[in-house]
Amino acid sequence: MGHSVLVCDDAIFMRTMISDILSQAGFEIVGEAESGVQAVQQYRSLRPDLVTMDIVMPDMGGIDAVREICKEDPSARILMCSAMGQQALVVEAIQAGAKDFVVKPFQPSRVLEAVQRVLG
Amino acid sequence: MDLSKYAALFLAESREHLAACNQSLLEWERDLAATEPVGNLFRAIHTIKGMAATMGHDTVAALAHRTESLLDAVRGGRVAPSPDVVQLLFSAVDALTTAVGRVGRGEAEDDNEHGALLADLDAAAGAAAGPADLADQAGPADTAPLRSRLVEVVIRPMAPLRGGRALLALRRAEALGRVQDVRPGAHMFERDDFDGRFTFRLTGDLDDGMVEAAIRAAGDVEQVLVGDAVQGGSVAARRQIRVDLGRLDALMKQVGELVVARNRLADIAGRSGEAALGETSERIARLVSAMQGEVLAARMNPVAEVFDRFPRVARDLARDLGKQVRIDAEGGSIELDRAVLDEIGEPLLHLIRNALDHGIESPADRIAAGKPAEGRVQLSATRERNTVAIRVSDDGRGIDRAAILVRGRRDGSIGPDVTVLSDDLLLRILARAGFSTATRVSGVSGRGVGIDIAVTRARALGGTLSVTSEQGKGTTWTLRVPLTLAIVRALLAGVGDERYAVPIAFVAETVEFDARQVSAVRDREAMVVRNHAIPTVHLRREVGIEGNPPARRPGIILEVGERRAALVVDRLLGQQDIVVEPFEAPDGLPPFLGGATILADGAPALILDAAALV
Repeated sequence: MGHSVLVCDDAIFMRTMISDILSQAGFEIVGEAESGVQAVQQYRSLRPDLVTMDIVMPDMGGIDAVREICKEDPSARILMCSAMGQQALVVEAIQAGAKDFVVKPFQPSRVLEAVQRVLG
Repeated sequence: MDLSKYAALFLAESREHLAACNQSLLEWERDLAATEPVGNLFRAIHTIKGMAATMGHDTVAALAHRTESLLDAVRGGRVAPSPDVVQLLFSAVDALTTAVGRVGRGEAEDDNEHGALLADLDAAAGAAAGPADLADQAGPADTAPLRSRLVEVVIRPMAPLRGGRALLALRRAEALGRVQDVRPGAHMFERDDFDGRFTFRLTGDLDDGMVEAAIRAAGDVEQVLVGDAVQGGSVAARRQIRVDLGRLDALMKQVGELVVARNRLADIAGRSGEAALGETSERIARLVSAMQGEVLAARMNPVAEVFDRFPRVARDLARDLGKQVRIDAEGGSIELDRAVLDEIGEPLLHLIRNALDHGIESPADRIAAGKPAEGRVQLSATRERNTVAIRVSDDGRGIDRAAILVRGRRDGSIGPDVTVLSDDLLLRILARAGFSTATRVSGVSGRGVGIDIAVTRARALGGTLSVTSEQGKGTTWTLRVPLTLAIVRALLAGVGDERYAVPIAFVAETVEFDARQVSAVRDREAMVVRNHAIPTVHLRREVGIEGNPPARRPGIILEVGERRAALVVDRLLGQQDIVVEPFEAPDGLPPFLGGATILADGAPALILDAAALV
């Protein structure tokens, strides 16, 4: 059984893409969230092995969601999904507890490398 | 310290070293007088010992320690090499392999299993070592308990968001020991112009190899220098030779061809589905990327080379004009490809002349306006994504929009309905060849303002020129240019059967275009992304492709400075490094097609000019 993953992004397009990349690599997508608030709630109930988190989301952004999740579970493994030019935000997310990041637009190999680093 | 995340690293590295040990033993067996295999064996076993002790695998550590002692005795000439010694060491390496295997399977270590072997090793080494006391016996090489050392880390130049990556590398180091004296300060990681190179002091009990491996595991790490190597590396970096620019150009062209060939190979490998071909192709891809990075780095020169020319020119100009002007420059250490650097001097000179001639007022006018008699022109360079923004700001009178409006109406370039000139519109009018509001012809910037030349040059470089101006306060021109000309990372987009390349430097993100979220802003269609309305551009429509688009379409959010547009395409086809080919635009080609390239599969594709689309 592959690792369980919670995918958080407000765009269905992005969620679908990440889910496809990860499920093809043998991961099990156990949940999807489209806001920071949902991400925290879903994390609480699902306790996934890995979370992919968009930085900019409605209802509590990705960074606040990371902070909230790490407060409850310091060992949470969160992979940030960022865009070019979000250097300061990515740094903030890592300080909040995110374990790695990937940059949109995604290359599947880069996503999987980052996931391996986070889970490794 | 949580070591579990290093378990995989420990296993992989130990296995590598053990495999190398077998090779060295075979080599040594063929020639017992050879010293190199002994040295290699010693270092490999020593590294395994350090890692195993750190991970708390005592059986492995003890075995490695006793093996190392024997090797040290051979190395030091206290024990003569013999077939028996080699055989014993083969057995030791086998035992280590077994012990590491147990660790890998998560099985308990068996201290008694190797009793006889340990006794043999001790006997062969002259029993000098005695029972293992790892803290005292740490080898002469590089494991000292709680040693403090300088570490230098370089993030790959092409890696996205290098600051974030640097912080992850620092986090990995923090898991190994105490981190101090981070330079430049960690706040630099948040800045776009952070160059990916930093140093810190690490205090911990790990050996250098493990430190390097752990930091490399953060991903996108180009180089890790630990301890003495840092100094050596810095000295080496300062050693320079002169290279004919023509050679670098030729090398760059070759690398460009190599990139195209690599992309092609990756494409063929991907379609063939053959694993070995795929692996080789990936390896070649990595090597080519590294080589591309090196060649690009070799071509980089600081912007200061261009900036440094201007103070003197400005001084002479100011004197001719009877003005007092101080010119300051910052960000001169930011680097650009030599070819880009060579092209920006002239447009910058136009902008500076323009600032001195039309921007900065005479000392009397300045004092009357409550400003210091001496005017200021500020030059600055900042990194913004894969581009560099070079700004020329003056604290002069600003552009007289009313005068431009009157002039523009008279020559018909502005419709009668326009009452306010936006910065964009202002630029478009100023950029018309020969446009001038100057009531006199000065010897400095001539009849026109030279903006047309600056705009043309910026576009030719794949960059942009923009302007902001406030009456009475001053004007800022921003010239944005790519870091390098030859090879550009691009996002490939498809519409109909055609493919287009969008330079990644201008791609902020990709989103799903959803017709339901479309609204209109000032009669233009716009899509709402996170509460912001972004004007849409349908590529299908722009290039005149008939037929129905697919139901689900991606939108590429283009960002040029402050301006954004959502480019709606049929599908995204991934990223590729493309080589920009010289391009002679045929008549009638839309202005947003800024170049051509050959894609991985050998087919040509056109490059979209983001600046012309937003």
